[in-house]
Amino acid sequence: MSITKERELAPPGVSPVTGKADPLAPIGLRSRYEPNKRRFDKLGPLEKIYLFWIVGASCDGCTIALTGATNPGVEDLMAGNVPGLPKVEVIHTVVSVESGPEWVHNLFMADRGELDAPFVIVWEGSVMDETISGDGYWMGLGEDPETGRQITSLEWLTRLAPKAAATFAIGTCAAWGGIPAADGNVTGAMGVMDYLGKDYRSAFGLPVINVPGCSPIGDNFVETAAAVLLFLQGLAPLPEFDELGRPAWLFDETVHRHCPRAGYYEEGVFAEEYGDKECLVELGCWGPVVQCNIAERGIVNGMGGCMQMGGICIGCTMPGFPDKFSPFYATSPGHLLSSTTSRITGSFIRRLRRLTVADKNTSTRWDEDVPSGWARFRGAPRGAMKVAHRFYHAWQRRGQSYN
Amino acid sequence: MCFRNLPVRFDDSGRAQLIEGARDPYALDRPVEGGAYTKISPEELDDDPRVRDWNIDPVTRVAGALAVHTKLDFERRMAVEAHSMAMLFRGYELILQGRDPRDAIDISSRACGVCGGVHSTVSSLAIEQAFGIKPPPMGVLVRNLGEAAEMLYDHPLHLGLLAGPDYSTALVEITNPELVDRARQTLAAGADVHGYKTIGDIMDAMNPLTGAYYLEALTITRLCREMCSLMYGKYPHPSTLVPGGVMTTISTSTFNEFYTRLVKMFDYAKKIVALWDDLVDFFLEADPDYALVGDRPINLIQTGIWDDPEAYDATYENANEWGERRYSTPGVVIDGELVTTRLHDINIGMEEFVEHSFYEDWGSAPKDPPFRRLETDPAGNPLSPYHMWNKATIPKPTGKNFKEKYSWSTAPRWDRMTVETGAYGRLWTTALARKHPANDFYEATGDGMRILLPEATLPETELFWRVPDRLNALERNRGRAYAVAWTCTVALVNLLTAFEYWRRGETKVHTNYTIPKDERVSVGFWEAGRGFLTHHLRMDGGRLTNYQIVTPSTINAAPRDPFGGLGAYEEAIVGTPILESVSEADTKGIDVLRAIRSFDPCMPCTTHIDTGRGVITRELNSCACTLE
Repeated sequence: MSITKERELAPPGVSPVTGKADPLAPIGLRSRYEPNKRRFDKLGPLEKIYLFWIVGASCDGCTIALTGATNPGVEDLMAGNVPGLPKVEVIHTVVSVESGPEWVHNLFMADRGELDAPFVIVWEGSVMDETISGDGYWMGLGEDPETGRQITSLEWLTRLAPKAAATFAIGTCAAWGGIPAADGNVTGAMGVMDYLGKDYRSAFGLPVINVPGCSPIGDNFVETAAAVLLFLQGLAPLPEFDELGRPAWLFDETVHRHCPRAGYYEEGVFAEEYGDKECLVELGCWGPVVQCNIAERGIVNGMGGCMQMGGICIGCTMPGFPDKFSPFYATSPGHLLSSTTSRITGSFIRRLRRLTVADKNTSTRWDEDVPSGWARFRGAPRGAMKVAHRFYHAWQRRGQSYN
Repeated sequence: MCFRNLPVRFDDSGRAQLIEGARDPYALDRPVEGGAYTKISPEELDDDPRVRDWNIDPVTRVAGALAVHTKLDFERRMAVEAHSMAMLFRGYELILQGRDPRDAIDISSRACGVCGGVHSTVSSLAIEQAFGIKPPPMGVLVRNLGEAAEMLYDHPLHLGLLAGPDYSTALVEITNPELVDRARQTLAAGADVHGYKTIGDIMDAMNPLTGAYYLEALTITRLCREMCSLMYGKYPHPSTLVPGGVMTTISTSTFNEFYTRLVKMFDYAKKIVALWDDLVDFFLEADPDYALVGDRPINLIQTGIWDDPEAYDATYENANEWGERRYSTPGVVIDGELVTTRLHDINIGMEEFVEHSFYEDWGSAPKDPPFRRLETDPAGNPLSPYHMWNKATIPKPTGKNFKEKYSWSTAPRWDRMTVETGAYGRLWTTALARKHPANDFYEATGDGMRILLPEATLPETELFWRVPDRLNALERNRGRAYAVAWTCTVALVNLLTAFEYWRRGETKVHTNYTIPKDERVSVGFWEAGRGFLTHHLRMDGGRLTNYQIVTPSTINAAPRDPFGGLGAYEEAIVGTPILESVSEADTKGIDVLRAIRSFDPCMPCTTHIDTGRGVITRELNSCACTLE
């Protein structure tokens, strides 16, 4: 290839036509010509931060998850609409306006320290070992404008990670290796921590921050990023991370503890067929041993969620995913002990509760007849049960007077 | 007779057979009729001082890693050469091999997070075909609803966030300032519907990050992902798809919450159809040469999507029948003519070539794959050795070299011709075929599609998508907007059908199965947002022995084939004019990018998961000037 015929790369940042910031110039240059919103100094010194979203062995699912986030929404972060949070200039192949050499120019600027604000890296997808890709590459990202040399996306991680204010690994692939690193992996796929090592610290002194999930919940990521940015602004404490670098407030509970079907487990009732409404453990659900918050947060805007809608948990947030959970649709060996136990205790509790529910389903005025036009109501306790409930109520109301 | 190039003929009863007496019938050295050849020789271009290399790595505002090397001729003011490169390989090929076939649903889903549900769906179809089970109607309907919602998220994402900015004021004012002035003075015909008075207002609304249309698109994608998650639990990467149906727990709330969101989409669809109609018409009127941007012959391939719950029986033998009963009809269009709607023809016409891809040809590989070559499909139709059922994936990363290998995408061809696929292609085949199930909300007319959107906030609206006489960037985008409207009606029809089954008490969503231990061969046909999608699998002893995916962007982003034909992006770029009104130095190459983006490229899918046989070839290429 003759380099002389290559188009010249002198991105000015300003459009020669309009005199305004040129939307197709590298944002690292363009952003200097865009007016900043007026900010209160009390809400932190950082006005702007660059976010390099770089992908390795990725499916772009984390990107899609990010665009689903609403607390805050990605558009508000990028527009600088959240006071206290710096405006986030995103360099991301899916959303960037500029392309090709102009896009890559941003990465060179970061590497050379030419940006006018700090930057963070968000890495999506596994890291693939480019030392075993021969003369080729597993993942190419941009060319060197001087030589035409193909640059790999991994090279950018290597060059930029020590200079970044923080490095985030989004999604299970980036955090732990994920599916590309599963048994049979030929690309040497691994997580960002595996690659950067335990001594890695960002320019601001942070180890890699991991927000796992395949795909992760978008709000988990923006919330973590916002918390770290507020810390960098000096406004909030450094959020708590667990020993694996996960946001502790999001991942310290098992998903089962907040699962809407967990009550069935407690009562020892299990779904037998796909589509049943009860606890899914016997269909292969790993929820009781998986750290995840989808049961509280849903997947997008609070909606959905695996078990909420009938899907089993396959452990997609965990470092052991996928191999330690596969085959996904086989029941885990541990269920024999745990679900048998809950069947035994649950059968008692369930029956007692059923009796109380029946009693609570009748108003205090309905001793004789239930005035429902829908059907003859048969739930009210009779005979010995009725007497038992009288005593139960008397005990419940001991020391109280209602009139 | 649908094949021009493959050595396959049909007998009187319509059965496909190999032409008798042909020696080595699938040899690669025969010329291809209808191949996508470029007329300009590379040497001619190298010597021309007005031709400049125009390399775009990465191409942004597409999903995943795509790079395109082109040559722009500033004398003739057009792109004269193009190489499309998929830049990523994830090496999944060994990951599925030997696993429980059901794991393919969740693992293959991770091929793509943009098309976050189609892979698990098609994988379920392939597996249930292998297992010999048929899902109950409600299982099929829940899939249809989830998949309609997925398309409703996918197309607005592309139109608003990825393609839209290319037509926004912010960009057009630096490539074609005169168009912005003109747009400000052009009244928008659909102003009453979309609310933008002039074309200039529409273009303002398309401005990245600030425009009203851009921001609304982002909100709409969330709304539709909520719909997906009602059926799928999770999106991307559903957690409720299983062979034999779904494991979704459906209730009155499921359908209610789905419907209230779908109603909002009725209005959104009316707006974006009016908006894209106005915008496309404006550009074509301002300069008829915009019809040449991304223009290529009307060669399309579609696998069909959204099964008729009565017709679908999950067998390969009956695939022609249930395929034609899909709400979106499978089919192949060559030079604008519909040549088949039979899934068997579509399947046996497919071949995948790796001549210019970073893989080794499995036919000449030193080790045999762990499965025997299939001469015919399960229905007795002849199969090429290059067919997916016979393919093994052997990655071989080398430096890129345009005369040899330069992409991680393979080159799938149908009847050895370059075909493309897309959301607009769904409309195209369905409109021409007129075979879809009868319903009250859309109707194929042979020359287009009539779509009736019920009243919501905006009044009831009848739309008509006319089959365009060319296939170019603007028509692709316009078609995608109409596909949103059409998909709304498909969702509505399926929702009403689901209510019908619900009323009859047929609420079972799943059929039980046992995993067969004998050898099985199967295929799932479905579509992604961008069209054509197949998963071919082979299993034995209850374990996968081969798994091959062909995605729409594998087809569209393909490199050249062994016959010298270009891939679809490449063919669309070559001949695309440079219509920017600024000086050569200020040229942005925006029309080339519009051409590429109009396909809605999705690269994560493209370099996907295959089960191969564990061979990886590494070679040190001693030559450093690999780009020569």
